[in-house]
Amino acid sequence: MFAWSRHELNPEQEAAVLFAGSQFLIACPGSGKTRTLTYKIAYELSRLPSDRQFVVAITYTNRAADEIRERIENMGVNTERLWIGTIHSFCLEWVLKPYGLYHPDLAHGFRIIDLHEREKLLDQLCTPYQAQRVTFWDCEYYFTPRERVLGCSETRKHAVIEIILDEFFARLKCNRQIDFELILFYSHRLITAHPSISGNLSKLFSYILVDEYQDTKEIQYEILGRILSAGSGATRLLMVGDPNQAIFGSLGGFPIELADLRDITNLDIEPRVLSRNYRSSQRLIDYFGNFKLYGTVIEASGRNRDFASLVTYDPTIHKDNLADEIARLIQHNIEVLGVPPNEICVVAPQWPYLTAMTRALVTRLPEYRFDGPGIVPFARDPENFWYKVARLALTEPSPSGYLRRLRWAGEVIQDLSNAGVDVSAFSRKQLLAECNAVVINETDGLLYLRTFFEALFVRIQVPYLGFLSLVEHHEAFFASSEARLQRLQTDGVAAASDVSFFKKAFQARTGILVSTIHGVKGAEFDVVIAHTLLEGMVPHFNDAGGDDSAKKLLYVIGSRARRHLHMFSEIGRARGQRGDTWGATRLLRTCIFPYDSP
Amino acid sequence: MHISKLTLVNYRNFANAALTFTKGVNTVIGENGSGKTNLFRAIRLMLDDSMLRSASRLEEADFHRGLGNWRGHWIIISLEFDEIGPDESIQALFLHGTGVVAGAAPIGRATYNLIFRPKKDVRLKLAQLADGDMPGLAEVRESIEISDYETIITGRSTADFGNLATYSEIVGDFENCMISDETDDPRIGARVSPLLSVASEVSFTYIQALRDVVAEFHNNRTNPLLTLLKSKSGAISATDMDPIVARVRELNDSIVALNDVQIVRSDIRSTIKAAAGETYSPSSLSIRSDLPEEADKLFQSLKLFVGESDENYEGAIHELSLGGANLIFLTLKLLEFQYQRAHQSIANFLVIEEPEAHIHTHIQKTLFDRIAYADTQIIYSTHSTQISEVSKVSSVNVLGRRGDACEAYQPTTGLDPIAIDTVQRYLDAVRSNLLFAKSVILVEGDAEEILIPLMFKQVTGLSLDEIGVSLINIRSTGFQNVAVLFHESRICKRCAILTDRDAAFIDTDPVPGESDADVRYKKKCRGSDVKGLTRKLALDLFVQGNPWLSPHYADHTFEVDFIAAGNASKVRALLPTIYVDPPTLAAADAELASGVKAQFGRRVLTMAANQGKGWFAILLGRCLDSDTVIPLYIRDAIFFAKPALSKEMLSNIYRYRVGKAVQKGILSAADAEALHALIEQYHSGALPLADLKHILLAMLPTDQVHRLLANVS
Repeated sequence: MFAWSRHELNPEQEAAVLFAGSQFLIACPGSGKTRTLTYKIAYELSRLPSDRQFVVAITYTNRAADEIRERIENMGVNTERLWIGTIHSFCLEWVLKPYGLYHPDLAHGFRIIDLHEREKLLDQLCTPYQAQRVTFWDCEYYFTPRERVLGCSETRKHAVIEIILDEFFARLKCNRQIDFELILFYSHRLITAHPSISGNLSKLFSYILVDEYQDTKEIQYEILGRILSAGSGATRLLMVGDPNQAIFGSLGGFPIELADLRDITNLDIEPRVLSRNYRSSQRLIDYFGNFKLYGTVIEASGRNRDFASLVTYDPTIHKDNLADEIARLIQHNIEVLGVPPNEICVVAPQWPYLTAMTRALVTRLPEYRFDGPGIVPFARDPENFWYKVARLALTEPSPSGYLRRLRWAGEVIQDLSNAGVDVSAFSRKQLLAECNAVVINETDGLLYLRTFFEALFVRIQVPYLGFLSLVEHHEAFFASSEARLQRLQTDGVAAASDVSFFKKAFQARTGILVSTIHGVKGAEFDVVIAHTLLEGMVPHFNDAGGDDSAKKLLYVIGSRARRHLHMFSEIGRARGQRGDTWGATRLLRTCIFPYDSP
Repeated sequence: MHISKLTLVNYRNFANAALTFTKGVNTVIGENGSGKTNLFRAIRLMLDDSMLRSASRLEEADFHRGLGNWRGHWIIISLEFDEIGPDESIQALFLHGTGVVAGAAPIGRATYNLIFRPKKDVRLKLAQLADGDMPGLAEVRESIEISDYETIITGRSTADFGNLATYSEIVGDFENCMISDETDDPRIGARVSPLLSVASEVSFTYIQALRDVVAEFHNNRTNPLLTLLKSKSGAISATDMDPIVARVRELNDSIVALNDVQIVRSDIRSTIKAAAGETYSPSSLSIRSDLPEEADKLFQSLKLFVGESDENYEGAIHELSLGGANLIFLTLKLLEFQYQRAHQSIANFLVIEEPEAHIHTHIQKTLFDRIAYADTQIIYSTHSTQISEVSKVSSVNVLGRRGDACEAYQPTTGLDPIAIDTVQRYLDAVRSNLLFAKSVILVEGDAEEILIPLMFKQVTGLSLDEIGVSLINIRSTGFQNVAVLFHESRICKRCAILTDRDAAFIDTDPVPGESDADVRYKKKCRGSDVKGLTRKLALDLFVQGNPWLSPHYADHTFEVDFIAAGNASKVRALLPTIYVDPPTLAAADAELASGVKAQFGRRVLTMAANQGKGWFAILLGRCLDSDTVIPLYIRDAIFFAKPALSKEMLSNIYRYRVGKAVQKGILSAADAEALHALIEQYHSGALPLADLKHILLAMLPTDQVHRLLANVS
């Protein structure tokens, strides 16, 4: 049985880990949610009643899944009976692959198109509608159990978008392809039409854990609900998250009410909380508490509890002085306050402003490294086979990374096997050894990868050109990478094509992070600097959620910081062509707080 | 849960065979070379943990040879499982991989298939060929190597791979180059997730035939006793083990402490020092007793000693009789299976190859009567009629060869329970080799059973067994009850039925003034005639449309038709052993020689009735020789069962006839030599059969062999 010592978990966390039934766990920011989840998984793994059963954990990103799995492995717990990944991977592995043959669209095999292919196809389908100004960006959509919902808030474009999407789906169907949303759509269809599927699955899963539940969509809730209710209590649920941080509403995510969750799962679910914030100072907690949408309790409990945090807000600075001011702040924090660069984060609501900001900061502070938007120069599609090989190609063997690389090697072998390669002679260790034996003297990143792939596949004697899916993935990977690289170089990141730049993608981050608000979900930093907090962006003018959405965004920004928080609503940002400018976010304007002076 | 069906397509000697199995005990019956071992190999590839590696490495030699060109074809081994308890969670992983899902209905069926097929690129190339593009097809197939093949494991398939049309739809029709554009037909099922290995979900024990039991007992890996002990050694409590360990230590110490041991030790030391000098001698040296202290190692030193029946002595395995050792081996394997069964497996399978190979027939039956574990499916192959009768005919699969390919037949497919019960009773009562035969002649009585094989042997020099025909005595005219087994959907083997038409051989019209005895005799003949006709009509109707059955009728009765065929002299030779009274003897002889059916018929039947038909047949058998004429209806029955003879057999028959002709002085030695040379030419393939027949007819114009083999190819 998995055990821990007293100092590892606080009583709330421990209670959640030990609780035998199903629970709905509201975790305030910085409350050790991932830690609790990790221990809970390890604990449940150690008490699996049968070696035919699994613990399933659903995370919001693949990265989070990797991180949790690694933590559990490092605790010495066997993860063979753990399945962890995103809801999309879950549906793919557990529903579409084994049961796809019961849906006519999938019965004859299917392939998942990556984001790049998707963008290319939609771009092409949008071309006839340039007059209506419909672009790829308008074509976001998601499924509910009943219908297709468009992400675009401009209702006048909807008719055209519907036509484009209809054609998009027709093309996919004809090519036997599906995109990420369709994974959910078909899974839902299959699971509703064939109750035996949820029957089987519920018997296989002793526990289902869902992280970041507040960003879960209705169709996802329903898929999980079907499985859980089929188990009639034998499969238990832990749903954890923070409704105050539900910032993916435009994609359909929402925090479900406990009563509704009980309804769809047919489970007795106990509400519990993690209320102790170990991250931020009381002052910061007081501040972001202003933007709380749901009345959760937060108690400052960490080392920084009594820290005299600086919380500043500058609604008067002109956009042209913004970069200077932020550069000054960064320099001050690093050089005077001794904050490590990778503990500083610059956030803004939208990519374009961030790209410009990154460039401006790089010029002003050439001595520091920045990890900014689009900084990975190759296709980062986790489902792409060659992306998986690239992970091995771009990381160096090291004792600390051994388990991770071993797992990556395992995934490569699995994909090879799925593609029809006879893998009976491969082991993960061997593949890793073969990868390590490939030495390529090439400084151009893409060329390096190409050569590496060729050399590796000669070494392991797999003529990948003989396998259609591998060839398709190969083409997609390089096409998409070249496009990305092109964009980076256009943005002036000259070193992007260098292999050392490529390798940074898998190195621990050392620089100052520049990210969107959505991108720092789950992360924490000593210092958070937020800019472009303007009405129309926070909240987005298209967002039907209005002030509620703004609250959640501000809540997320504020709760990322351990020590200091600096916010800017710069003036002078042009809006439209008539010389208008954006004003500061209304909620900030009206918020009364004893800010520190900048 | 149990295996309900095994389908083999293009695997080794199976072109396309389907076996069905029931819960409990199942028997596979088949002649040598009918594929029993390969059949079991196929099951093991799917279910035996130790065979998993072989399963992923099929090769060229695994393709059915009858395919000719294997390139492009698929090998499919498909198992179907039935009676699945849907609510058992231990089955969930299995059902997740293999269960056939149909809406809300609980899963009741699962399939698990091993498919060896060309990789997708090759399948695409084949799919792109235009219909009828034979040259294109030949080119693609020519380029296919075994390395272009992949093994996939699928579950929940719904296709009946044994159906040729289905196979053509999925794989393609290479004869006409009609290949579907679909390279991923959903009917082959969904790939089974690597999380599931059915072999590790079930308990499966295979007991091989023809084993060297003593060697297996000596090998630590295969010794079944060690396996059993190992499974128990982990469970021994410390309280039980500790005192033993203490005593082992004590024992070790006291052996070492023996004065003689210490003397040897010091002698070794001093000798080394003397030989190598102090500097190069080892710094320490001791003698220790190595009796192991761990439970599992101690257990390995346990051996089985067995005393055979009456002896007062228990010997080690290698001292036992072969039969005794085999019995012990089988018993331990069964126990091993029982231990395994106690684990959480979703199903239990026990597969035994020819249990009779080493076990005395008496034990065989009792053994299998008693192996009836609940939740266990037993499949065994056998040559033995002793064992085969233990299992029900409805759970028998009969393997047979048709040309190059082995096929599997289920003897009772489509029969109603009453018909099955009748066959079962017949098989139980008569330990008949009906199910083992390559082809069958059913006869109604002892006379036929005794005389026909003799006759055939005398005339051709070959026995019926040699040509692969089994003659089975039904001891009545109820042929239908047994013949029902031979049918397109049941056993596809030829079955001739040989019976008497019982037509009257006298004029049965009453003649005024005839004696009462004559009246009664005529009435009896008329009665038989009518009954015979009714029987014939019924039998003809019964076999109608069934190519595997053919009735052949003696016009009257076997004995009468035997004489009518030209064998009066053989029966006449028998007269002195039957009659002693000279006038009767003379009268009988005259009647037999008369050539008039009414006379010889009545006489021979009287003789047979007096002696008892069976005994009469035995007596008559002594008088048969190579001149005995085989009645045509018997000839036709034999060669329906066996329509073609091999070159070897034909040559032997002709040689035999030529030899007999020389003995009888019909043929000169020189002519015989010439004929033998010609037969040799035919045998070596230089002379066509028709030419040989032609010459033989010219040289031996009166020999019955020409008529006998007229329709044989």
